[in-house]
Amino acid sequence: MTPAEKLQVEGCALRRGTADDAVGTLVPGYVARPADADALARIMAVSGRRGLTVVARGHGTAMDWGGVPRSADLVVDTGGLSWIDHIAGDLVVEVGAGTPVADLFAVLEAAGQRLSVDPVREGGTVGGMVATGVSGPRRLLTGALRDLVIGMTVVRADGVVARSGGRVVKNVAGYDLAKLHTGGLGTLGVIASVAFRLHPLPPALRVVTIPLASRGHAERITAALRATTVVPAAVELHWPSRLPPPPSTDASGATQPTRLPPPPSTDASGATQPTRLPPPPSTDASGATQPTRLPPPPPTDADRTAPAPPSPAVPHHGPCLRVVLEGTPEGLEARTATVLSVLRGAAPREGAAPPGPQVDRELPAGWGLLPSEGTVVRVSVPPAESAEAAEALGALAGRAHGTDAVVTGSVPRGALFVSFAPGAPAGAVADTVAGARSRPGWSATLLRAEPHVHAAGVDPWGEIPGLPLMRAVRDSFDPGRRLAPGRFADGA
Amino acid sequence: MHVTDQPPEAPRERDQVFGDLLNDCVHCGFCLPTCPTNVLWGQEMDSPRGRIHLMTQMHTEDVLTETAVGHFDNCLGCLACVSSCPSGVAYDALIEHTRNRVEREHERPRGERVLRGAIFSLFPYRRRLRLMRGPLRAYGATGASSLVRRSGLLERISPALAAMERIAPPLSSPPPPLPPLVPAVGRARARVGMLVGCVQGAFFPEVNTATARVLAMEGCDVVVPRTQGCCGALSGHSGRSEESAAFARRLVEVFERARVDRVVVNSAGCGSSMKHFDRTLAEAGADDAWVRRARDMSAKVVDLTEFLVDLGPRAERHPLPLHTAYHDACHLSHGQGITQAPRALLAGIPGLRVSDLPDKEVCCGSAGVYNLLKPDAARELGDRKGRDVASTGADALVSGNPGCALQIASAMERAGRRVAVTHTARVLDASLRGLTVDQLLGR
Amino acid sequence: MTETAPATRTPAALAALVPVLRDICGEDGVLTDASRRRTYESDGLTHHRSVPGVVVLPTTAEQVAAVVRLCSDRGVPFVPRGAGTGLSAGALPHAEGVLVVTSRMRRIIEIDVDNECAVVEPGVANLDVTRAAAPHGYYYAPDPSSQQVCSVGGNVAENSGGAHCLKYGFTVNHVRGLDIVTPSGELVSLGGRSPDAPGYDLIGAFVGSEGTLGIATRITVNLTRAPQKTVTLLSAFTSMDAGGRAVSSVIAAGVLPSAMEMMDALAIEAAEKAVACDYPQGAAAVLVVELDGPAAEVDAQLAEVVRLCGEAGSFETRTASGPEERARIWKGRKSAFAAVGRISPAYIVQDGVVPRTALPEVLRRITELSESSGIRVANVFHAGDGNLHPLVLFDDTEPGAADRAEEVSGAILDLCIEHGGSITGEHGVGVDKACKMPRMYGPDDLATFDLFRRSFDPDGIANPDKLLPTPRLCGERPGVRRGVHPLVESGRADQF
Repeated sequence: MTPAEKLQVEGCALRRGTADDAVGTLVPGYVARPADADALARIMAVSGRRGLTVVARGHGTAMDWGGVPRSADLVVDTGGLSWIDHIAGDLVVEVGAGTPVADLFAVLEAAGQRLSVDPVREGGTVGGMVATGVSGPRRLLTGALRDLVIGMTVVRADGVVARSGGRVVKNVAGYDLAKLHTGGLGTLGVIASVAFRLHPLPPALRVVTIPLASRGHAERITAALRATTVVPAAVELHWPSRLPPPPSTDASGATQPTRLPPPPSTDASGATQPTRLPPPPSTDASGATQPTRLPPPPPTDADRTAPAPPSPAVPHHGPCLRVVLEGTPEGLEARTATVLSVLRGAAPREGAAPPGPQVDRELPAGWGLLPSEGTVVRVSVPPAESAEAAEALGALAGRAHGTDAVVTGSVPRGALFVSFAPGAPAGAVADTVAGARSRPGWSATLLRAEPHVHAAGVDPWGEIPGLPLMRAVRDSFDPGRRLAPGRFADGA
Repeated sequence: MHVTDQPPEAPRERDQVFGDLLNDCVHCGFCLPTCPTNVLWGQEMDSPRGRIHLMTQMHTEDVLTETAVGHFDNCLGCLACVSSCPSGVAYDALIEHTRNRVEREHERPRGERVLRGAIFSLFPYRRRLRLMRGPLRAYGATGASSLVRRSGLLERISPALAAMERIAPPLSSPPPPLPPLVPAVGRARARVGMLVGCVQGAFFPEVNTATARVLAMEGCDVVVPRTQGCCGALSGHSGRSEESAAFARRLVEVFERARVDRVVVNSAGCGSSMKHFDRTLAEAGADDAWVRRARDMSAKVVDLTEFLVDLGPRAERHPLPLHTAYHDACHLSHGQGITQAPRALLAGIPGLRVSDLPDKEVCCGSAGVYNLLKPDAARELGDRKGRDVASTGADALVSGNPGCALQIASAMERAGRRVAVTHTARVLDASLRGLTVDQLLGR
Repeated sequence: MTETAPATRTPAALAALVPVLRDICGEDGVLTDASRRRTYESDGLTHHRSVPGVVVLPTTAEQVAAVVRLCSDRGVPFVPRGAGTGLSAGALPHAEGVLVVTSRMRRIIEIDVDNECAVVEPGVANLDVTRAAAPHGYYYAPDPSSQQVCSVGGNVAENSGGAHCLKYGFTVNHVRGLDIVTPSGELVSLGGRSPDAPGYDLIGAFVGSEGTLGIATRITVNLTRAPQKTVTLLSAFTSMDAGGRAVSSVIAAGVLPSAMEMMDALAIEAAEKAVACDYPQGAAAVLVVELDGPAAEVDAQLAEVVRLCGEAGSFETRTASGPEERARIWKGRKSAFAAVGRISPAYIVQDGVVPRTALPEVLRRITELSESSGIRVANVFHAGDGNLHPLVLFDDTEPGAADRAEEVSGAILDLCIEHGGSITGEHGVGVDKACKMPRMYGPDDLATFDLFRRSFDPDGIANPDKLLPTPRLCGERPGVRRGVHPLVESGRADQF
């Protein structure tokens, strides 16, 4: 282990890592908390010279995203980089990476503006939100998160501070490197600050919630909506894996999951190695390391899952579609009426009619949030196949394994998330991922997986088009592959 | 009239004008999308912007390469680029000047020389053209001059002729020639001269008949001078400036004598050319007095459609329930800037529906004698236009130019999608006379 | 000014490549004749010229890949070119390189209404995508002023915007999938019909890379539903400050117009002279605002904007919702550049960006610059996003005038940088502004750009000497454009 004094740099608090700082199963040797971007640059430069592996952390709410890092000598806590420079007249804000998203949103709201993105996690920092790069439901009008980033300052693996873009919305000077760091999971550099374009807060909104009778019903509605000019901000699908959810099912599978104690560590920790926390048991008894399309292994106790915990995004209700309209109260009236008339025309043709649509003036609690626990698979499909995908993925995730999962996401963008209940068997995840990847034009990545899913060898990334180019980019920014090695598909 | 022999404009001065005109182009590329050869081949040298670059090379370095001539020859002269140019580059003047220089300085291969010679011994002469038609065709073919036979022109021309036989079967006896004066119906509102034209007169005499009748019914005394010849457009567009100027002089004289307010033309290519007789004569080195006479004459030239719109309708329009597609002849839309007048006239006919073609700015490939000189490119453009016509679902295609009618009809024949092709004047004539659709289309 | 003597022969190193290129692209797909090559010597910015060593006109992605692979194997530079309408000399050919022209790759492969996207080849003209989508009620949102000519591939390279990017964003916000040929000649598919391709956002970084990362051979773009209603408003003010106040209050009121354009007195005067646009008499500034969306929203916003313009001191406001009336309002705005060209023998068009709040200050400073130098400057700009296009007018027959105009033009860019703006909002860096990059970015920023470039192109053969400063290029004086620029005349085209 590098002696602490060799990592001491001005403006950067340094302490030993503890189990609370664990990155997956790895306890880092040190945790550094730079006070500003310069100090961040200094600690990155020093760690670069020492050849240390580095994992950036905001509030630590997404440390389990992507692949499992192989090594984490140093965790860099960006919490000190917390500042907001809001230029309201320009509809632009520049923010330190460690700024809590909630703080940013509060400041903007007070000025009648917003960053037009629905965060998918609670309690995160701006840097974390950008590094994870996932866009929530309201992305139809103003684009995805990546479309709102207009400039970024990043500290490279070697400590060099590099800026791209700027604080003006319109700018084509130089490469748009911020696009690479948005969703880059901190593997191309540590984000120090981000500039965003903002939008005015809409005066009002309406949420039309439409219970769905079937996939066909969903498809008819979305096609009919597409033909209108109501310009929704979101068309969000909610599709539980069990369809329709018989009320008895939840009660019958009532065995509570047993959290097994972790097995003893099989790795002797070397002096310079961070302590390796024991992995959880592999739930795939077969020990398959490949995502499998074989029948799932016989269920063990741990395979039996409980109903999803009362997480806001996995509510206990049947499939539905939520259409969000934003605008002036006058305009919303007409637009809502249009949506409702479209719905009448697309009424279900088969089975029992579900309850009629409901119109609200506020977003439901937990809007856009992914569950805070359990494995989440991100699936991208051609938008017209969204409903079909939700049905197929729900079936893969749920029926074969009796697992509770829910498919959510933006129908017009084909951006879906399969959220598994905590403890869901790796086989269910593997089947879902493999099923999605087998379809032309679909992609599936593990946004976040529980340790036993990783341990079962489910490939978080799969065959990504352009991977050699991505690795080349990674190698030029981080030649030693020291930034969260293993988190991205960077081929150990 | 006393005419002083002024020395013709010095070639050096004309060159300087040419250089200035070239400099107007700032290379924005707005001409590319509507240029037919760019549409076909997608290369810079076969776009107006590229050809202007080649002209600049020719001008500044005073060389005329084989390559450059090839690309100048490829130009259809449709003038779509003139319409689309935001800088107002006078491409029409540029290409005409360039073609004259090519004809003066460039030695063409023998076969090409023979073909061109044959074309210009045939087309500007209505009587010789008429021999190519119908029952007389075989005779015409054998009786044609040996030059025409040797050139391979007959092979090139016969598909178009065959198509024409089907779209406009020759009458057993050709319509009687128009009288020298067709008097106005009712009170005369104007006294106009009328151009008979070579191709129009030889192949589509019924269009001329319809034109004269429509003019008369709208209250015009129509003067049709017997001695008029070709307007010289075909020659002028091919760089044969002397020949073109000779035709122009004759027309100027003929219509000066006719003492008319306007000279009405129903063939787009002729009208376009006649509107700048002054430039034609200047380019050929005529003296100032002749250029002035030509300018006065040109000022009187109007297309039938713009004339009728200006005049305003007087005769009653009878319904004509028919779905038509209107094809903008290049020398009407780009050459004369006339796009609204024919549509307005057609729209004034009760029951008639008019569709626009997709890519309506792009030439059909007829382009004077281009389809004889560059048959492959012309055929490809014709096929595209044919598909565009078919896509409208119209029952008849209306156009203001005989060449376009032949070209598009033969393209559609090839594709097995027959469509009636007719002239704006015939549609108007049918409406004014209360004919049925079947009568109009000869069904 | 970059200009090479007209090359009469293809350089020897390239001559050896020609037979292979002909095998790849066919006889008529390779141009070696000097006069033909010369027609490709510049793009839309004609004072940068260089005759390409050889020109190829591939028709398929495989041909592009084979050509680039050959270049890569032999270490020969290549330059991609679309329609050649760029305004930063981004497609300036390389005298010893291969110019890869996509003008024969112009198939619209599919209009996929269900997935709201279009799949096109790179040579397809921007406006043709909209034309193909229009029957289905859709359009392609990015609308650069050369949209009837410029190619989608070129738009991808330049991240083109347009008058309506204030609301709808740039090309990068509308590209969902790209097939690219990398500088090593590999054909790689990124994204497709499904948005949010996994892994690093290479599409986001490729768009706007000015041909330095490879050549896009197939592009999947979003189609946008045509708005239910569009309204254009013209408001006249007695001062630029008042117009500026209106812009600020519209933004502050939470209205997001699709376009918001402003002209100053000199620009208005010129437009009146050229096209008699009949703008309100005595206006020192006019603001053109366009609103679109659901009819009910547009109506509500329109009332708000009219009220705000009045409060800011507008003495006349006109609104139009029919296409012809709207075109009448836009006529003056769109013809402004051509008009200015008519009142001045020569001029320089600048393209810089300032934060919107800095607009009044920067405009005042431009006025001062103009007064102290005696060089007139007309202002026509995208007020909504702070993208300035000052027109620096001068008489090129007057000795030293061009130099003084160039100084003023450069000083305006300095003002943009000083106020935290950008040296280019939409024309791109290309060759023209490569030497100005160090004024906007530090050495570490530029070095990082270069690292990224080399991750795609280690040998530096893809559009070399563009986008980033090189010692060879920099230190030369940027050129001056003379006469009326054609992207703009007669109201049909406009220039930004």
